[in-house]
Amino acid sequence: MNWSRIFQNLNYAVSLLLFLMGLYTLAMKPNLIKKIMGLNILETSVFLFIVSIGMVDSGQAPVMAHGAAQQVVVNPIPQALILTGIVVAVSTTAVSLSLCIRIHQKYGSLDACEILGREVA
Amino acid sequence: MKKLFVILALAALGVVLLWVVGKMPEMGDSRTPDKTHVVPRYIEDGVKEAGAENLITDVILNYRGYDTMGEVAVIFSALCAVIALLDREKRGVSRSAVDASQVRSSRIVRVTVRILFPVIFLFAVYLILHGENSAGGGFQGGAVIGASIIVFTLVFTLIESTRDIPLTLRVILESLSVLTFLAVGFIGVFKGVEFLTYILPGLSPGVAGALRSQVFMMSIEIAIGVAVGAIFTSIVFAMIKEENFELEPHIPEP
Amino acid sequence: MNASFNHPVLIVVVPLLFAALCPIIGLIRRSLVVWLALFGTACTSFLALSLIGRVTPGNDLSYHLGGWEPPWGIEIRIDTFGLLMVCVISTLGILLVLYSWKYMERELPANRLSYYYTLLMLIYTAMLGFSITGDIFNMFVFMEIFAITSYALVAVTGEKRALRAAFKYLLMGATSSVCVLLAITFLYSVTGSLNMLDISNTLAELSPDYIRVALAALVFFITGFSVKAALFPVHVWLPEAHSIAPSPVSALLSALVIKMGVFGIFRILFTVYGPGFANETANWKSLNEVVAWAAALSILAGAAFAIAQKDLKLMIAYSSISHIGYIVLGICLLSYHGTAGGFYNVLAHAMGKASFFLVAGCFLYKKGFRRIEDLKGLGRSMPISSGAFALASLSVIGLPPSAGFIAKWNILWGCLDSRKYLFAGVVLLGSVLAAVYCLKVVYYLFFTGPRMRDTRIEEAPAAMYVPAALLSLGTLFFGIFSGLILPSLNSASRILMIR
Repeated sequence: MNWSRIFQNLNYAVSLLLFLMGLYTLAMKPNLIKKIMGLNILETSVFLFIVSIGMVDSGQAPVMAHGAAQQVVVNPIPQALILTGIVVAVSTTAVSLSLCIRIHQKYGSLDACEILGREVA
Repeated sequence: MKKLFVILALAALGVVLLWVVGKMPEMGDSRTPDKTHVVPRYIEDGVKEAGAENLITDVILNYRGYDTMGEVAVIFSALCAVIALLDREKRGVSRSAVDASQVRSSRIVRVTVRILFPVIFLFAVYLILHGENSAGGGFQGGAVIGASIIVFTLVFTLIESTRDIPLTLRVILESLSVLTFLAVGFIGVFKGVEFLTYILPGLSPGVAGALRSQVFMMSIEIAIGVAVGAIFTSIVFAMIKEENFELEPHIPEP
Repeated sequence: MNASFNHPVLIVVVPLLFAALCPIIGLIRRSLVVWLALFGTACTSFLALSLIGRVTPGNDLSYHLGGWEPPWGIEIRIDTFGLLMVCVISTLGILLVLYSWKYMERELPANRLSYYYTLLMLIYTAMLGFSITGDIFNMFVFMEIFAITSYALVAVTGEKRALRAAFKYLLMGATSSVCVLLAITFLYSVTGSLNMLDISNTLAELSPDYIRVALAALVFFITGFSVKAALFPVHVWLPEAHSIAPSPVSALLSALVIKMGVFGIFRILFTVYGPGFANETANWKSLNEVVAWAAALSILAGAAFAIAQKDLKLMIAYSSISHIGYIVLGICLLSYHGTAGGFYNVLAHAMGKASFFLVAGCFLYKKGFRRIEDLKGLGRSMPISSGAFALASLSVIGLPPSAGFIAKWNILWGCLDSRKYLFAGVVLLGSVLAAVYCLKVVYYLFFTGPRMRDTRIEEAPAAMYVPAALLSLGTLFFGIFSGLILPSLNSASRILMIR
């Protein structure tokens, strides 16, 4: 394994760590709200990853102020992509939270184990 | 036991991913494939071709405008999903749990919000209108509008907010972004070019292409901003409303 | 430039327009919304069917949005497979809206109905856009629209178990979407493009440094889309979500939405990566093999679980897993007969399974029966619905002269073509198992219960049994006239294999 390359790409490694943390939260936490938080961590890790890809050393924000061409700018596409990604994440969160509200009204609980158990009773 | 298993599985996945990431192009290098293949044209000609100084706005609203139409549809479908699940608030009947509590928000909070609210709103308008030339844009501005209304609702009551921003108005505003996008797109279709090509009827071809694009991009930005604000407001209203709250609120133990 | 030049994008835009109009019309008159939705789907269907002559195998229809040429702008690219999907989605759309008219009136309060139709129009928009786009990120955006709307549609009745099923679906679906997004990121970082054809050209001569990243992207894509398609190890969300949702929604999800996952797998494996990507044929083939095994397991597991079910809709839902297996197996056989058969099964299964769910909805609407044992003698009191079920079960089992037979025959041919005799056995065994669970229902419907003269005919409203019956007749029609579609699928698949 090429450790120097990994340290060079530290953002990638950190976002992967966040990815795993998100997956863990999603899989193991019984509380539905915490599961949604896990989902958000998961999504955010991927956003960090995408933005890191577009980074250029000593690059500016991709705003071409009046005629100031030929400055070094970062890649605008990843930033455009995560704007879409963020909107998608917000939408998913809104839907999941409203599902949570309904679930809490019907089951009186937000605990995954309890909700599964209620079915039997 | 299950916990250990999951941690081990995730660790294995992590090692594999690290192994993959080790081969990724270096971060910050400007010669990687993603910066040499498609992007140079955006950076060199973006301002000229697409019309906005902010290249991200160019990509979002011009080069990849169709994606943004999908994005607007995503947030519109989130609204429809929330409303289909939770229903809208009913006028005059719905209150939030905060409204039902006997402890009113303090005068300091009310006055602060009353002073800050217009400022926040102004900032949102700035974000929407200045998205072409600097950081900002319709979605960001819309989110700030939504946030300002949410703060207002939490401090003053839901009844107050629904009176100021009636449901009928919001229903129309919510569809506005999608409809504006389609209207702009159809102008191109009726002029015989591709969908979402920015062509202004009645303007001579001598007028610079950038100006045409800017008119359209600005109108789309404004529509997105207003619609996203309305959508966030509606989502939050649907979430916090409680129709069957207890009329005698529960007073917490001292 | 002729008038139909803009048709490709109008297929996506017209349903979106109607989706945006639905809530506004709902403010004015709620009863108008269903007619608006019906009109919208009819227009879309007209536009989709008008493309039929214009796409021929090897001659894709390309459309550049905003006039920006492909690697810079977004491209819509319709090939034979995309055209098939578009036609199936839009035609089924009309029937499902028609069916919802009576069925959902009883399930939902009037003020939420207009949002139900809005969600339906949005999900059509998303699926149509997903099928014809030529850009992977655009694919992701449309995937999210149909994902979000389908979570909501599952839970729309607010029933206790439906909420739980929808939440489970949401957690798995959202995770799979993140996988796809991560894969897009990996792929973008090594190719620098988002256009499918451009990526596939870049991948063909990818620098060997990046092959590992490209392979990781491929694995993530397939994982993500498998969850959406409900392939065997990750199918756990499907049975509950599909069986508890209201019947038109079950039909929609089973007949169309899970096909999108399959279509995603197909697009990634064949259009984006392609058999010879960067001389990595061995890796690509072995991954293909893994997917084929997952598909084979889905066929058997889905069918076996379906036999064990007592609830009619749950049985149909498990049967969907089995059929998704058939489609994916056909696609991954690397033989053009298999691919053509797999896509023919998209058509056959869409009609057969939609008909199943709609008939189950008729029983539920009229009698409130869910359990298979309760269906005794319904063949006499509800003859049209039951007849539609019997006819559709021919296709689901794969007996001639139905469309399912043509599909399975071609998949079988594909198995023999690529010398995978084990898979051929799986295909046959799956059919036998399908015969067991389908004929059990048919037996209960027609051969048990009270005598003929003791029963009154109590059929569901015509708006409900007509779509079901039409779909069943459709399976028969496309079984007899398979020459309408199969040859072009065959030649399109052959071109795919040569590339």
